[in-house]
Amino acid sequence: MAKRLTLYITIFLLIGIGLAPVISIFIKSLFVDGEFSLQNYGTLFQSDREWRLLFNSLTLAGATTLITLLLGVPLGMLFTKTDLPLKRLFAILFVIPLIIPSYILAIAWFYCLGRSGIVAIIFNVDFGIITSNLLFGFAGTLFVMVSALLPIVIILTMTYLRMVNPNLEEAARLHCSWTMVLRKITIPLIYPGIALAALIVFILTLGEFGVPSSLRFDVYSVESFTRFSAFYDFNTATTAAMPLGIITFIVLIVERLFLRKKTFIFRAAGSEKTMVMAPLGRTKPFFMAAVSILVFILVIVPLGVLLYKSVSFSAYAEAFIRSIGSIMRSLVYASVGATCLVVFGFFLGYLLERRALKFSFAADSIAIFLFALPGTVIGIGLISLWNTPGTNFIYASMGIIIFGYIAQYTALGERVLAATFSHLPHSMEEAGQIAGADWFRRLFKILIPLAKRGMAAAWLICFIFCLRDIGITMMVYPPAHDTLPVRIFTLMANSPDDLISALCVIMIIITLLPLFGLWLANKCAKKASTLG
Amino acid sequence: MKSRVIFYIVFVGVMSLSFATGCGQKDTNEVVVYVSEDQVFSEPIFRDFEAETGIKVKAVYDTEETKSTGVMNRLIGEMHNPQADVYWANEPIRAIVLKQKGISEQYFSPNAEGIPANFKDPQGYWTGFSARARVLIVSEEGLIYQTPTSIFTYTDDIWKTKGVMANPLFGTTTSWIAALFTVWGDERARDFMKRMKENGTKVSTSNGESTMLVVNNEFLFSVVDSDDATNAMRNGKPVWQIYPDQEEGELGCLVLPNATVLIKGGPNPENGRKLIDYLLSPQTERKLAFADCAQIPLHKGVETPNDVITIGKLKLMKVDFEAVARKLQEIQPYLKEWVGY
Repeated sequence: MAKRLTLYITIFLLIGIGLAPVISIFIKSLFVDGEFSLQNYGTLFQSDREWRLLFNSLTLAGATTLITLLLGVPLGMLFTKTDLPLKRLFAILFVIPLIIPSYILAIAWFYCLGRSGIVAIIFNVDFGIITSNLLFGFAGTLFVMVSALLPIVIILTMTYLRMVNPNLEEAARLHCSWTMVLRKITIPLIYPGIALAALIVFILTLGEFGVPSSLRFDVYSVESFTRFSAFYDFNTATTAAMPLGIITFIVLIVERLFLRKKTFIFRAAGSEKTMVMAPLGRTKPFFMAAVSILVFILVIVPLGVLLYKSVSFSAYAEAFIRSIGSIMRSLVYASVGATCLVVFGFFLGYLLERRALKFSFAADSIAIFLFALPGTVIGIGLISLWNTPGTNFIYASMGIIIFGYIAQYTALGERVLAATFSHLPHSMEEAGQIAGADWFRRLFKILIPLAKRGMAAAWLICFIFCLRDIGITMMVYPPAHDTLPVRIFTLMANSPDDLISALCVIMIIITLLPLFGLWLANKCAKKASTLG
Repeated sequence: MKSRVIFYIVFVGVMSLSFATGCGQKDTNEVVVYVSEDQVFSEPIFRDFEAETGIKVKAVYDTEETKSTGVMNRLIGEMHNPQADVYWANEPIRAIVLKQKGISEQYFSPNAEGIPANFKDPQGYWTGFSARARVLIVSEEGLIYQTPTSIFTYTDDIWKTKGVMANPLFGTTTSWIAALFTVWGDERARDFMKRMKENGTKVSTSNGESTMLVVNNEFLFSVVDSDDATNAMRNGKPVWQIYPDQEEGELGCLVLPNATVLIKGGPNPENGRKLIDYLLSPQTERKLAFADCAQIPLHKGVETPNDVITIGKLKLMKVDFEAVARKLQEIQPYLKEWVGY
């Protein structure tokens, strides 16, 4: 009973915080001048522009997904299953773009490829014109999105490869070459992970606001933001978001039909020590060179440009003076948000993995649906629902931002912890239950201790996403509650390049802080165990 | 039992942390201001106000993409539950829209007395200060090409595909287009817009971006706000600022003052009035003239740097801001269509 109650409370809170604002604006969009009307939807897709925006969104999302898979899966394999030199360093470098807000990458590439950018200075103006034309538009937006989201595919590929049962590969190696083993055994086994990565990349690209907006590529999520901000028209803004909602539902159905059963059927996990490794042999220099070039282009260049542009003490001093409050708020809000998301994710992940209630898939669908919606739409919903005198204590406080994080990112914590629970044998909890331990005892003595590594990973992922969020925060932040990404966005108008670059570098550093803390804690723990 | 208690403390505690940490004691000595002026210029003014009065300023700033409409629209959305005391508009048109919607409150600041009558509302719903001109920013390459002196550069064949303009659905660009409609009449203004489009004028997201695009030679010229242009020049960018249509018989240059608006039902009205007094003071105008926004003071006798023109030296486009505000709303569907929404 206590277990069911806990899970019901979690679902109720998710619906109240996340789904209710979206339902609220949907219902409002069905009324015109107080009368029920489908007029707003009747005007949808009457202009060619809307079809073009939808086409742009789908093309961008599809192309980003395809390219990240083509690059990310081989890279994940190289970093996990081969003897590639410096593979750990490469893996860490490739992950950095994920923790940087994607529009910062767009800024860095503008400094690099714009008509007066570094490339134009090094080569010539004509070359700068070519690179600039490529950057502003589909090609540039696609390039930045690929560099920003490639780490997701790499991480998931690496994670799933570590779960492949080495016995299967060893058996296959008796008869086949490594190429054949990878093609026939390994890749099919990690197919659910690849599909999950594709789903996440597709959804994140579909809802992306910052990069297409910066690089002037018109997509639907920008349209929704514009309709709200330029015209303050909740109804048309909601209507504009509906096609994305429909696409999300289609993606969810596809996932449900084709992927769900496979997604959480993990093989016996093999540690890296027992993993069967594929030696690169004579091809090692070739792969080394290819990976180095890729890491240079996708990671070193944008980071180097930001550092080069901000290389002045006064810029950093100015950046700190102007943004110290925002830095602190960003850290606090992201920490509180990540903690809430881990709590939600813990119970929803448990619900999903253990099928603890009849409608566990429904709760998962709500979380994924909210994750897929553009942040601007959730932001509009939150304003619509909470901007009343009675709920001012939420609307005028950081509570509204935290609600936004919960609404948008619950799926992240849920899926990470669902994967964690899939590794934990049911028998442990069942044994506790047979021994007479109630739900809370099992929770604190069995589930939480066993899932603590997954919880830490979920917290880190959620922290990063909350910290880099701009879509929701920009829409709802109360006076004097701006976060660092918002401050960078609002300061961009007429601020010197070195100040913006310095702020971007600070943003990267504060995002890396918890990773550094985790590394330090891990090192201390190892040292302690060695001494012990 | 112990674990259950811990669980409830953690679960309920974490769930409510977002409220608890965010809903601290309300500071009564504060003022909430929504700002459409660039944050980089307005924030130092608020810092000085805080230092001089001890009143804490809580601000919400516009982004470049939604310049002067984002927070204004938020004010409209919060009409029944106002969060702001003051709106610092970066042009008077939106302030007039707020007046028409009954969101603003009358206030005759003592510091408004030195402001020329055509830059303030006779009923006291808004008061202008520190103005910007709509100027041509031209790249070095553009000057070699030919020196543009008029907004008709946008429709000149010689400059085909060389010009960029901020999205006319937003900010001062909307006001500028609406002003052209009131001065020329609908037919001539629509013809100008049509020819501008036919001549390959591109639309950027904002004046800041237009400036950046001209600075980077992506385009050769643009009509932007004078603060964007002066700021770029002061940062050593290879661009020039030209006040358009200054010759005899020409249209003149549109000058748009900032505007202060007191919000009806705001949480701190007294502090709101104090902030408005501060913003309208000659000292603030001096600061904004010397800042990189290089804004033109409206009070007489305010000291300015050499590169800031005085209001008396400019041939002004003669506009009635109330009429421009009405026209702005009237042409919104046309502008949406022009942009392709």
